[in-house]
Amino acid sequence: MEKKPVIEVEGVSVSRSGTRVIEGANFTVLQGEFVGVVGPNGGGKTTLIKATLGLLPRDSGAVRLFGQPVEQFNNWKRIAYVGQDAVNFDQTFPLSVRELVSLGRIQKENLGHRLTGDDWRRVDEILGFMGIRDLAEKRIGQLSGGQKQRVFVAKAMVREPDILFLDEPVAGVDAETQERFYMKLSNLNAQRGTTIIDVSHDLSAVFCRMSRVICVNREVNVADIGDEMGFTKALKKAYGEHFHFVFHEHMCEGLFEDDRPD
Amino acid sequence: MTDPISLLGYRFFQYALLGGSVAALVCALIGLFVILRKESMIGDGVAHISFGGIALGLFLGVNPLLTALVVAILGVLAIGYMRRHGLAQSDSAIAVMLAVGFSTGLILISLAGGFNVDLFSFLFGSILTISTFDLTVIAGLSLVSLIVVGVFYKELLSITFDEEASRLMGVPVGLLSNVFNVLVAVTIVLSIKVVGMILVAALLVLPGLTALQLGMSFRDSVVAAILFGIVSVVVGVFASAVFNVAASGVIIFTLVAFFLGVAAWRRVA
Repeated sequence: MEKKPVIEVEGVSVSRSGTRVIEGANFTVLQGEFVGVVGPNGGGKTTLIKATLGLLPRDSGAVRLFGQPVEQFNNWKRIAYVGQDAVNFDQTFPLSVRELVSLGRIQKENLGHRLTGDDWRRVDEILGFMGIRDLAEKRIGQLSGGQKQRVFVAKAMVREPDILFLDEPVAGVDAETQERFYMKLSNLNAQRGTTIIDVSHDLSAVFCRMSRVICVNREVNVADIGDEMGFTKALKKAYGEHFHFVFHEHMCEGLFEDDRPD
Repeated sequence: MTDPISLLGYRFFQYALLGGSVAALVCALIGLFVILRKESMIGDGVAHISFGGIALGLFLGVNPLLTALVVAILGVLAIGYMRRHGLAQSDSAIAVMLAVGFSTGLILISLAGGFNVDLFSFLFGSILTISTFDLTVIAGLSLVSLIVVGVFYKELLSITFDEEASRLMGVPVGLLSNVFNVLVAVTIVLSIKVVGMILVAALLVLPGLTALQLGMSFRDSVVAAILFGIVSVVVGVFASAVFNVAASGVIIFTLVAFFLGVAAWRRVA
């Protein structure tokens, strides 16, 4: 069955503080894809994601979400976004993990209504899925970096979105936690068919787990991971001609094993 | 010394306990949100703005609580407008409206014949003189505040934690922020009779600040803040009647003692 485009970005340019940060971006993301967004620091990755979501104004170009111009799009329950600074919250904020994840169930349709038993059942289900059920009553400020990431992804996932945007979800997290985190994401993508757009610094995670990569450094280039030449070319455009990404066959070995218990 | 138990038979004492406890309850609940929104100064700002309303009431011969309510609501809406339209940043907008309210109040007070007993009861609180009308105003405004917070509890919690994420979830952040600021104005005005305009900001933030030190979930923090607020009012009302000291002073002093006590306990534990 042909997969439908869920995100269409056409000729999008974005400036911040008078400087052009994104120049003429063009790409399409299909339903169920797991797409990486990479590029050097300050290259415009976050700007591209925020402009795609309509959180930042564009200088030119068009964005369509599920075929609808982003300006008119109002079905936000289909989309969840975990921002780069989500985990930089006030560490003394008195929220338990379960309370925070439950806030993800808020949508236009239930404004001014209490969460239902079904909402709370889904909260507990996603806590289990993300392997954080034992943290449910813990205060969010007491969690480790990796645990916080999983809690925020759980808050996003409990919305049961069709597209999940993640902006550097594992920044500053140790390698083993990163690996476990990406396993969860792969499971979400494979088992639930969730389209995932993941801004990442970790090129090996992108290479091993994702189907396509969007390379951003003002210019935006898209390559299929399977197309080694195209992938290398796109990376060089983003990181510079001197950049070499050395791929070893064993790099992805063992990464797609079944999920380990937490 | 007055027998504390026999005081419970007096209507003025019942009104003081009831009105004070209800005000403390609403202050603790709204105050917790205020602290977490990092807007503790808005309590002090609105209290000073409402001074203009109290003066207007005294000048016109209308119940000052009603004029204070109208002026305070207009004040918070003006603060919101100034922030949204870039006329002044968060704290500066509060400072500007505080100055407008207080200076207008001073002019009106001097036109009305200067400072008098009525004015002092609003400045420093007069919990033992809460009338049936005052109690009705306090109860009515409290009920409205509790209903609004009850209905939009999860949305208010969400925008307090993360406005941008809430906006993406379809929460009308701007509208709810305005509604919340109106609730702050209502809460301040209904508490003026209890601790007075000068100390009302303390009744708003101290219960929440104390509860936050206990490191609990949001729901448990709300319950703890309310308990700290109500116990302080009860202590203040009894102390005032028994030892003939200012109730507002004892209420806030008790809250400060709770705050310091919990802080010390947290350091030792």
